[in-house]
Amino acid sequence: MRATASSCPPSRPIQCRPILYQDMPEPLICFVGITKRFPGVVALRDVHLDIAQGSCHGLVGENGAGKSTLGKILAGIHRPDGGQIRLSGSEVCFGGPHEALGAGVGIVHQELSFCENLTVAENLSLGSLPTCGPFWSRDATERLARECLDSLRVELDPQRRLGDLPVSQQQLVQIASVVSRGARVIVMDEPTSSLSQAEACRLFALIERLRDAGTTLIYVSHRLEEVFMLCDTITVLRDGAIVATKAATEWSRDGLVQAMIGRPLDDYFPRHMEQPLGEELLRVEDLRSPGRLEGISFSLRAGEVLGLAGLVGSGRTEIAEAICGLDRRATGRILVRGRPMRIRHPRQALSLGIGLVPEDRKRHGLVLSMRASENLTLPTLKRHARMGWVKRRSESAVVREFFAALDIRAATPGVVTESLSGGNQQKIVLAKWVAARCPILIVDEPTRGIDVGAKAEIHALIDGLARQGVGVLLISSELPELINLATRILVLRGGEIVGELSRGDADQDALLRLMAGIEAT
Amino acid sequence: MRHPAKPLQVVCQRVRDAPRWLLNRQQTGLVLVILALAVVLTAFSGTHVDRRSGAAVNNFLNSGTLMQVATDASFFAVMAIGATIVIISGGIDLSVGSVYAVAGVTMALVLRSPPQGPLQTVGVGILVSLGIGLICGVINGLMIVGLRVHSFVITLGTMWIFRGIAFVTSRATSVLVPDALTGVAKANFGLGPGLYPMPMAVMIVVTLCGAIYLSHTVMGRHVFAVGGNVEASRYAGLRIERIQLGVFALSGLAAGIAAFMGTSYYGSASCADASGYELYVIASAVVGGASLKGGRGSAVSATLGALLIVLIRQSIRSLRLDQNYEWIIIGCAIIVAVVLDRVSTALTSRRLTAVGDTHHRGG
Repeated sequence: MRATASSCPPSRPIQCRPILYQDMPEPLICFVGITKRFPGVVALRDVHLDIAQGSCHGLVGENGAGKSTLGKILAGIHRPDGGQIRLSGSEVCFGGPHEALGAGVGIVHQELSFCENLTVAENLSLGSLPTCGPFWSRDATERLARECLDSLRVELDPQRRLGDLPVSQQQLVQIASVVSRGARVIVMDEPTSSLSQAEACRLFALIERLRDAGTTLIYVSHRLEEVFMLCDTITVLRDGAIVATKAATEWSRDGLVQAMIGRPLDDYFPRHMEQPLGEELLRVEDLRSPGRLEGISFSLRAGEVLGLAGLVGSGRTEIAEAICGLDRRATGRILVRGRPMRIRHPRQALSLGIGLVPEDRKRHGLVLSMRASENLTLPTLKRHARMGWVKRRSESAVVREFFAALDIRAATPGVVTESLSGGNQQKIVLAKWVAARCPILIVDEPTRGIDVGAKAEIHALIDGLARQGVGVLLISSELPELINLATRILVLRGGEIVGELSRGDADQDALLRLMAGIEAT
Repeated sequence: MRHPAKPLQVVCQRVRDAPRWLLNRQQTGLVLVILALAVVLTAFSGTHVDRRSGAAVNNFLNSGTLMQVATDASFFAVMAIGATIVIISGGIDLSVGSVYAVAGVTMALVLRSPPQGPLQTVGVGILVSLGIGLICGVINGLMIVGLRVHSFVITLGTMWIFRGIAFVTSRATSVLVPDALTGVAKANFGLGPGLYPMPMAVMIVVTLCGAIYLSHTVMGRHVFAVGGNVEASRYAGLRIERIQLGVFALSGLAAGIAAFMGTSYYGSASCADASGYELYVIASAVVGGASLKGGRGSAVSATLGALLIVLIRQSIRSLRLDQNYEWIIIGCAIIVAVVLDRVSTALTSRRLTAVGDTHHRGG
């Protein structure tokens, strides 16, 4: 099922001390011999890195390479097990993100969210609510928030509840909060992973303004285009150690990918297209949901990968939810193998052979407190049971099969899912539904937050499924992924299908124009 | 498939892994604490002279006291297993004490006109008390699922409702049960005088059933999944409502079993039976490491938790401490136990981290 032969470990030249960039001014931040262990893994091994004042320093690497961990150690979220951090020459040891923020180091990342039940304004001055006598002052709080948002040129209503805002705007609030508390250093941990292209552009503009204002930025990402666009220095990490640090101009794209994965990246061409399409598995007619979907119709055949493109909020995920019975207000006809069906619950979808690999693996995809193996067999446990009694041998055989097939790397399948890296967690979500052997598979953002190597493996997996006659509905924000994998692509905008492109016609430019609604010039 | 290994090698590997397996078990800490407390009690509780044999007998380490500890623990340990299952699923059941009372009182009232023969009497008793317990649990579950109200609120309400029903039906009197039931609950099995192992045996059987249910059945796995992440469970096609209904039914059933044993053992039922037990029950589950956030807990640990609480109560008697301080001591002990459990969990994960050094980097 895998395209790349990663079973034999590649030789890994690990260079502990990076080539220091000679023209750099006095470094603002020095990591000296940082080591960090997590249950079952060593996330960082003796990392030495200098970061110059006022630079935008990119940290790239595969998932689990340790780039996020390094950023989180700087921001006080994790404590290193060894080594020290020097800020402006003096050693610092942060007990938590608040202490780090006090020293001028802030972090923006998805897991560190605010109180969703409070308004934007309240969140922005949560640590020190302005008071009027014994009471907090709503007016002063809102005035402060407005000033703060205005200074960053972010248009947001401070009176809105944070939980009502989309992720992209919540992120802007996070940045505003960090900046308003006087952060000189901001760690951006995968800031664009849940943003649409247009939202990401707004974020980039903000980042550039911050950089011009003299803020030092540490940009953790696996999206190489962004890193090249924003960063002046790029450090590559692999397996918890630094591979190299160079100025952005000295890196080539191929060289960076090479350094990240440590082996040449196979060119990937989907092989399911060589085969003729099979019977029609799924037909959707006039699917509607108030405010979300407007008359969606399409059909999916066996052996086909049907791509769904569109900006976030255009209705891609909503289609998946409507098909699987997760949207109670959805109306329309859904035909499975030609027979009209009313699906009211994901269980029903599963019994009809429709599997949904959800977008948000932590909320919808996994029970993080359970073992990796238990997650893998959760939807299909009954197949490994007789009279409600789980047959451990049958279960563990399937678990071993899919751990091997998807190259899921964990100490044992019995580890708690929470302790696995994002890439391995995502593989477990996928394995869960592949193991259910659904003839119709809806995959929503299958490679979000995943490294290059794992991405190729997942692409090969999807391709392999299509070759076996599975009909795949592929939802993705990554255009290269859609263009490479999909037999044809439907483009959504505002809950409607605005275009269909076959593989021959699909390129990034055409797709983007359809998605954003810009006419070709 | 598994590598064909020689049985001897397998056994050797198991034996070699045993220390680490034991060290990583959550129950090990509880057992150690219970043993340590038992040693302290044996050492400091003094001795008395047995009237019949004339030999010196330890005030704690004698069959009578130990059996009494197990008997005291058994009534709420059985309920604690039901409560643990509810807590793992992310809910809470405050009504178990009241379910105990209503089941006990109903059984006693039905048996006022007992059927012919002791066997039938016992059968009807079991049927009524377990049935009433199950029905109460199902009522809890149906309301929680149907009205979409948090289980804390529903069971807080039914805690008073069930207690009130017991009050009204028994007219606030104590109802005696037939001797046949007491004969079963106090079956001697040829042990020494004053030793009644039946409640302990029921506790052990229920604990084993609970442990097997949680670790070896589809339902048990689903309980952990729902408690860990409701949304992910829904996406995985689990019947959330049915699982929630099931755990409350089991909790009611456990209370029914406890009611049968308790009422039969003491020979009478009244509406005030087991009042305040719900807190002992939840304390047992929590001392046993169940997380009120859901997704974590164990049946064996719940029973050990119940034993520990009873042992602490016993130690106040055995060590001749001031009885008036009993509640304060138990309250402190519960908090200490839970904090210790968290410390040991943190230590375990740190040890696993150290082990991680030798492992291949896991992506």
